[in-house]
Amino acid sequence: MIRVAGLTKRYGNLVAVRNVSFEVAEGEVVGFLGPNGAGKTTTMRCLTGFLAPSDGRVEVAGHDLARAPLAGRAAVGYLPELPPLYPEMRVDDYVGYVASINGVPRAQRAAHVERALEACGLSDVRRRVIRTLSKGFRQRVGLAQAIVHEPAVLVFDEPTSGLDPLQIAEIRELIRRLATEQGRTVILSTHVLAEVEAICRRVLIIAYGELRLDAPLERVRESGGLEETFRREVEAAGGLSPEGGGE
Amino acid sequence: MRHVPAIAAREIRSAFSTPVAYVLISAYLFIAGFLFFGSFGFFLIQLQQIQAYGLHHLLERMNLNDIVIAQSFGTFATLMAFLVPLLCMRAFAEERATGSIELLLTSPLTSWEIVIGKYLAILALIALIVALTALFPALLFAYGDPELWQTLANLLTLFAYSAGIAALCCFVSALTRSQIVAAVVGLIASVLLLVLDFAAESTSSEVVQQVLRYVGTSGHFEPGLRGQVRLEDLTYFGVMALVFLSLCRAAVESLRWR
Repeated sequence: MIRVAGLTKRYGNLVAVRNVSFEVAEGEVVGFLGPNGAGKTTTMRCLTGFLAPSDGRVEVAGHDLARAPLAGRAAVGYLPELPPLYPEMRVDDYVGYVASINGVPRAQRAAHVERALEACGLSDVRRRVIRTLSKGFRQRVGLAQAIVHEPAVLVFDEPTSGLDPLQIAEIRELIRRLATEQGRTVILSTHVLAEVEAICRRVLIIAYGELRLDAPLERVRESGGLEETFRREVEAAGGLSPEGGGE
Repeated sequence: MRHVPAIAAREIRSAFSTPVAYVLISAYLFIAGFLFFGSFGFFLIQLQQIQAYGLHHLLERMNLNDIVIAQSFGTFATLMAFLVPLLCMRAFAEERATGSIELLLTSPLTSWEIVIGKYLAILALIALIVALTALFPALLFAYGDPELWQTLANLLTLFAYSAGIAALCCFVSALTRSQIVAAVVGLIASVLLLVLDFAAESTSSEVVQQVLRYVGTSGHFEPGLRGQVRLEDLTYFGVMALVFLSLCRAAVESLRWR
């Protein structure tokens, strides 16, 4: 479903992601782990077509993002770290707008919006202006916009960052449902180990822009547990890096 | 181009869901109305003086269109050089600052669709402003006898001029994450283009003078204010829009290559 080959992204002299390759099969739920500044967000942005790679290829649902960018982007639902909301819009108008720019035909739009709002527990606040919602609910709106066009691949970039513990549990549960019940391919980037334990079946660890580990979660558990493996890989890569995300 | 209407419609609704558009349009109408009726009042005083002193041969030169309407529209164009940068500043800068640009750039949209959608929304606002501006001369039609065609030419000219600088200001907005920077740079650019004519006066080189006159905007809307809608002037504004929209598209596309 996702094929990344030799992905490299440079910002000027800084190499944010270096020669990363991996594949994700249909229906897999993969956790993309790394310390802050390791290149997670950059990789997610290349997967969703927001950034063009400096080198390498990204293929989503059989579409090369460089050659068929529109078809590739249509196959991805993406929740960036900062949900891309228009705060002055109402919830259902916003989700409907995202459906329309993602090419959902007018006749099916209302049904798509309905399903997305239902799945994210937003039915009761559908007519609320997004600005007036709490951070947890705004995150749900972000999830709803990612799934409204029912894409084959879902990409979530640190979906629980900045939420309180109750909201984290809610969002995590939502993502787990979206991932398992619907049989979608999901990539979830995070630096929270528990999130990967709760949702994913396979884990990729990235540090210093390099892919350090690609293994099923069970195997990681057998070889000392996720936390131990994570620490070992990050330290082997050279500790924590100072770079931040941002546009 | 099939997503253009959806983008434009969202932009227009969002412009009116914050007070910004209302404040800008009201401020423009207030200043424009003040100037228009000031100009009309001056016209009436002149008329009374001519009659009081019995200078009836001057009456022929007292023309509502030339003295009141055309002159006011010249001032309105200057007002637009200040208003349009404020209407355009949020187009891309706001989306870059809030991160919602990520939604547009990861959706199956072409950069052209995004740019044209946003530009059409701004053109709709400008059309509304020009239509509201038409109320001033419309009042004169109720009481006097101005020429219809010349007045329509003035309105068309005001729209074409505003559409040209709107493309410039959209491009500026795509270059920065700060709406204030976008507004200030757009304002400087449009005022500079407006006064390029004066700069032409002060150079001695014939060629430089002609180039400055051609590049400047004022030489291209002044004939329209006299009622002469010339194809070359409309072409100038059309080409200006096309050039800056292309640059704007390139700026949006370049965000992927950071």
